Amino acid sequence: MQSGTFHTTYAADMALRPYWPQRLRIALVLVAVLVFPWFADRYWLNLANTIAIAAIGAIGLNILVGYTGQISIGQGGFMAVGAFSAGLMAARLGMPMWLTVPIASLFTAFVGAFFGLPSLRLKGLYLAIATLAAQEIITWVLTHGKLLGIGESLSIPRETSNLFGIPMTAIGNPDFAFYWVTVGCLIVTVIFVSNLFRSRAGRAFVAIRDQDIAAQVIGVDLFRYKLLAFATSSFFAGLAGALTAHYRGIISWERFTIDTSILYLAMIIIGGLGSVSGSIYGAAFITLLPALLSNLARLLSGVVPQINSYLPYMQQGAFGLAIILFLIFEPEGIVKMWRNVKDYFRLWPFSY
Amino acid sequence: MGNEQRRFGMLALLLALALALAACGQPAPGTGGGTTGGGTTGTTPAPSGEPIKIGAIFDLTGATADVGTPYSKGQIAYIDWRNANGGVAGRPLQLISQDYAYEVPRAEELYTQFVTQDKVVVFSGWGTGDTEALKGRISEDQIPFISASYSAELADPAKTPYNFLVAPTYSDQMIIAMKWALEDWKAKGNTGAPKFAYLFNDSPFGRSPLADGTAFAQANGVETPLEVPSPRGATDLTPQLTQIRDFGANYVFLQNVSTPAALAVKNAKSLGLDIQFICLNWCANELLIKLAGADAEGVVGAIPFDPAAEGAKVALEFAKEKGIDYGGADSTFVQGWTAMSILVSGIEKTLAEGKELTGENIKNALETMGAIDTGGVTQPVVFSATDHAGAKSLRMFRVENGKWVAITDFISAR
Repeated sequence: MQSGTFHTTYAADMALRPYWPQRLRIALVLVAVLVFPWFADRYWLNLANTIAIAAIGAIGLNILVGYTGQISIGQGGFMAVGAFSAGLMAARLGMPMWLTVPIASLFTAFVGAFFGLPSLRLKGLYLAIATLAAQEIITWVLTHGKLLGIGESLSIPRETSNLFGIPMTAIGNPDFAFYWVTVGCLIVTVIFVSNLFRSRAGRAFVAIRDQDIAAQVIGVDLFRYKLLAFATSSFFAGLAGALTAHYRGIISWERFTIDTSILYLAMIIIGGLGSVSGSIYGAAFITLLPALLSNLARLLSGVVPQINSYLPYMQQGAFGLAIILFLIFEPEGIVKMWRNVKDYFRLWPFSY
Repeated sequence: MGNEQRRFGMLALLLALALALAACGQPAPGTGGGTTGGGTTGTTPAPSGEPIKIGAIFDLTGATADVGTPYSKGQIAYIDWRNANGGVAGRPLQLISQDYAYEVPRAEELYTQFVTQDKVVVFSGWGTGDTEALKGRISEDQIPFISASYSAELADPAKTPYNFLVAPTYSDQMIIAMKWALEDWKAKGNTGAPKFAYLFNDSPFGRSPLADGTAFAQANGVETPLEVPSPRGATDLTPQLTQIRDFGANYVFLQNVSTPAALAVKNAKSLGLDIQFICLNWCANELLIKLAGADAEGVVGAIPFDPAAEGAKVALEFAKEKGIDYGGADSTFVQGWTAMSILVSGIEKTLAEGKELTGENIKNALETMGAIDTGGVTQPVVFSATDHAGAKSLRMFRVENGKWVAITDFISAR
């Protein structure tokens, strides 16, 4: 039984996942991810894509809120920037997806950094309201879209969704084809962000979150790193938005309202603040909760025929109830619950 | 240990739910969602054979729930009525439906589930934003789709071959309403041009007819109408109405659902505004009168579905017989009923011709069946391979003594 850490080289000491059970778990997850689409039908692929995109957005928000301590209610707005800039490039210039997605993400990073400018002076609730303003300003620009030549909604030509000239449909139906893109982007995001917090910039972010004055005293350039956090976070928001645009083929601002921002905050709170895997759990939970309830109701509709008339209200209530239960019983989110499970088995039978 | 136990309790619950979800992944036979099959109390023999599956999404809790609920009841009632009368070609209809709370992502998820897992052959949708978001998939999946959105964007089969509109488009409704307004202005002995304003739902639904309406107004010498979005969930529209008063509008076109429209009408009364309100389809119904009371007197509405027509009697009598409560919104209930009946008529013709029930066959059936008679509820609905805007004209109504009274003959936009 493992009773301590005995690294003999610096390389082993610095490894992201030093223990074999961790590596085994990652390998198993990867295998599951690769095998899943071959067995899933389009409904499940649709859910998986939705979760993957939401997870990228949630990881982005977690960089800002969970790791750097800068509360943001502007995630929906930043995702809209990514979606519409990718959409406009594809629809107006006919640019392919593999160009629009990175350019849109970079552009969103720039916009995010711009709206992050007040973060030097503002903290906590004040900053939250400033980012809320960003959300509202972006929505305003989009609904008065005549400024940018956007109608009510923006259709993205299917043929722009190609990878280096190969159309997405070449490998099967859109849900199956996009699975590889969304999950691929998610894996890259996870690797990047997990390593980010082992780097100089990432540690500066965490220092700012824990105590910004102390961080400044030890030499962290607050303004620079706060802006960098906004830019990095918005980059992933833009990535999620741009992927949504290409996956759905049509976008309207209705998808990126303040409700979306709140939903993403709920994801990272339920999943676990300051955790990459927590963001994924949270995204999965929030996406699957309504699907789970409606499937459950369908199963029960044979036993309780009236359940369908109550279901809409149950769904509304369940969302609120889930957040309250998490805040009471596990404020650190699903990631902490998972850690408890691991600890239980690791320490068994001598838990105390 | 107590704390740990609690945590594990939560975790166990979560795991149980996750397992239940996984179990639900497989389409469970015979457990359709809002299934309404089997209502076989009539004298006709009970339909047997494989059920024909119809998918639908309703707004029962979202931003347009006030009209979404009676519409959904109309659709469910039609299926029940149809099954009580022997179904279609002896086969029962099975409606698989769910509330989507007017949220685009929910609509996409439910649509995918109903189409890929339940294998529905036709689909009845609701909002403009979600119908537009789904239009690409509808064409790919070849699912004939009748939505409660009459956005002009969905009427061209070259772009959206599987979307069918059963009422005049919002653009046409707006133009018809403007035509009426221009005549009314002259009839009242005014010279010069009236001033128009829009008070609309702040969504793709609300904005849908504005551009075409403005083009029509400008072509007829009317100053560019003022666009005033009405915020979602507003409890007071005084600022918006003040803006309209300052602009000096004579006619205000309401492209909204009943509840906010009633609020606008009431607010205007208390402000003492002398403005003619004209409701398009989704606020011109009995709910508006119920909510605005005496203040609704004189409001004009563009109503494509006439609940007083002969064809609506079956629906309303069935509702009375079964005790279906649709909040008194007769016209919206009849609208849901009629939309579903048109969708089913496509299925009926396909089966009558002995063809397989595929999306493509049903689409062709709808396009080639000629005029669909709705018993005077609407003008006969005609689809063709080049035009999916099934109805082109409607009558204008006015609220007189708490009732909608027709004040014109059928007017067409062009």
